[in-house]
Amino acid sequence: MKILLVGMNHRTAPVEVRERFAVGDPLPWLAKLVDSPEIDEAVLLSTCNRVEVIAAAPSLEAGRHRLRSFFHRELGQGAPLPQQRSENAVLYEHVDGDAVRHLFRVAASIDSLVVGEPQILGQVKEAYRIAAEGGVCGPLLNRLFASAFASAKRVRSETQIASRPVSMARVAVDLARQIFETLEDKHALLVGAGDMIEAALVALRGAGLAGVAVVNRTPERASELAARFGATAHGLDELPRLLVTSDVVLTSIGVDRPLLDAPLFEEALRARRRRPIFAIDLGVPRNIDPAVNQLDDVYLYDVDDLGGVAEANAEERRRETVRAEAIVQEEVERWGGWLSALQAVPTIRRLRARAESIRQGELEKVVAKLGLDEAQQRGVEALTRAVVNKVLHAPVSRLREQAESDGGLAYLEAAKVLFALDDPTAPGADADAAASDERGDDEACS
Amino acid sequence: MVVELFHSTAALYLLAGFAALIGVAVPKLRFGRAVAWLLAAGAILHGIALARLHTLPNPPQLTDTPSAIALAAWLAVLVSLALMRSRRLEGLAMLVSPLAFAGVLYESFALNAYAPGVAAEAGSWPHLHVILTSAGLALLGVAGLAGTLFLAEDRALKAKRAPALRRSLPSLEALDRVNAMTLAAGFPLLSCGVIAGMLWTQGETGHLFVGGAHAVWSVIAWAIYLALVVARFVAGRRGREAAVFAAIGFAFLLFVVIGIGAVA
Repeated sequence: MKILLVGMNHRTAPVEVRERFAVGDPLPWLAKLVDSPEIDEAVLLSTCNRVEVIAAAPSLEAGRHRLRSFFHRELGQGAPLPQQRSENAVLYEHVDGDAVRHLFRVAASIDSLVVGEPQILGQVKEAYRIAAEGGVCGPLLNRLFASAFASAKRVRSETQIASRPVSMARVAVDLARQIFETLEDKHALLVGAGDMIEAALVALRGAGLAGVAVVNRTPERASELAARFGATAHGLDELPRLLVTSDVVLTSIGVDRPLLDAPLFEEALRARRRRPIFAIDLGVPRNIDPAVNQLDDVYLYDVDDLGGVAEANAEERRRETVRAEAIVQEEVERWGGWLSALQAVPTIRRLRARAESIRQGELEKVVAKLGLDEAQQRGVEALTRAVVNKVLHAPVSRLREQAESDGGLAYLEAAKVLFALDDPTAPGADADAAASDERGDDEACS
Repeated sequence: MVVELFHSTAALYLLAGFAALIGVAVPKLRFGRAVAWLLAAGAILHGIALARLHTLPNPPQLTDTPSAIALAAWLAVLVSLALMRSRRLEGLAMLVSPLAFAGVLYESFALNAYAPGVAAEAGSWPHLHVILTSAGLALLGVAGLAGTLFLAEDRALKAKRAPALRRSLPSLEALDRVNAMTLAAGFPLLSCGVIAGMLWTQGETGHLFVGGAHAVWSVIAWAIYLALVVARFVAGRRGREAAVFAAIGFAFLLFVVIGIGAVA
């Protein structure tokens, strides 16, 4: 069984291509895939930055061909890939160990546009859940995704890859937490109503602020934004009053000269008995006079300051990526060991079936010859079963152990030769067909 | 045996200090719990050492500066542990541990040179004076350390060196709250300690105030803290200003207790 991964992401395909391949409900697509004989199991991951199918296929070439045709003729609705890009540049393909490594890197957020972003693991889990509940995921992908989640968990807990925010809004919330013990009893004042303010509003609401006031030159836009996020809307004339009750002030509004100056802040600080204010100025030109940062108990950060913090955090995340890659490598090797052990299963099953067949044949002969009663038959049955199990225990255990090592295949071949497992005329060979019908995957998992 | 106990205590405080420093510098190591355990182990050993010391025949007087310092250090560690339990204050251990280490080491050196002489001073006023003053010193010491940490963090935030700050450090608001709490508890204890000292002096000399260097500087230190209490709780000063006052006040108090105490 081969593991294949075919897909595109933010590095290989622009958004206008990715959006054409993105799917809302992957299950109908997956059902079509696994209905074809080339694919046994499949999971489809579709996010804003990537569309990938990871599949288990009996044959490499047939599976690869099926997945490529799936992208070209079905998922992309037959639309050609961009002229300026060759097919190979847009679609990437990974097989076996490389596919496993790619999935582990994706789940651990190493392959993300923003390294360490937390959403991707949830998206991978959701993609797997849909496939598992839809019955298009079998023992191989079940095990693979469980390993991917374990690997991602290790990366998150053993590295700092996700500990420092890299978006402006999250950096602002993180800084606020260095100033305030809790944000749950704090109030924010947002000046402006553009995209930056909206992003900040989402982050501040997520941080659990007690109240948010939105001030804008155009009251309608402020009201609309406030209504969406459970905030209150105000006019610019209310700024001095609102400043007194606001712990976090965030501005992003088009002005010729600073809207808020040091005397205004000083007055507010006196009125609020010098409780600190965290001011974030995202406006260009700046909305808050830089002299405000000279005041005690006011911490003013402009867009460059936040950008600097975000960049420093991103750099730290990049440094952590090296450690994360090492963890992923370990997990890929562990997966490889499990997969190798899986290869030993048919041989072990056949060996046991042969031994059992011989045991039963000999037992029947003895029973017929000696004329044993029922109790004696049970005794001999137990005796022969115990002897077979004990004789087979050591070779089966060694085969399992060695199958996970590099030279595992040689041991499997040796077992086949020594026990004549490939010889259809050998004693007990009549049990081979029955052994082949059994599913032995679980055995290797143990 | 008692000296060895003090040495072991000092070693634990030193380890806690290093662990706290490493924990702040490399937060991924998550040393917070180790710091708390080391500090707690040090506090237990410290308590045992103090109990053993003061149940010896002819122990050093509690009114001796090293004994008073060791007691104050122990109480400061207990206060810090109580605060660390309720808030994200592992960073405070970075400052408390070295001071506790120094206090314990000072006591152990003094014990090495100690020769039992006349019987210890009797009466409850001297003991009450030392216990109350040490408790006040411990709490005001924590206030001073919280103020120092506040000033360092405030400076880093103002200078936009926020990435250098670590999540393991307390927030400014938490430090300001610790400052207020310990000042509110420490000043009354210090005041009662000063009053107990005056009553002790009256019992000895018949006068409430005899005007020696220790007494004069102690009253000045008390007056500084009175000003700080008024500024903080009456005039509503907080944040950076309160932190500066708390740090200066504690430095002055240390000067009075150790510097003037040693001279006297």
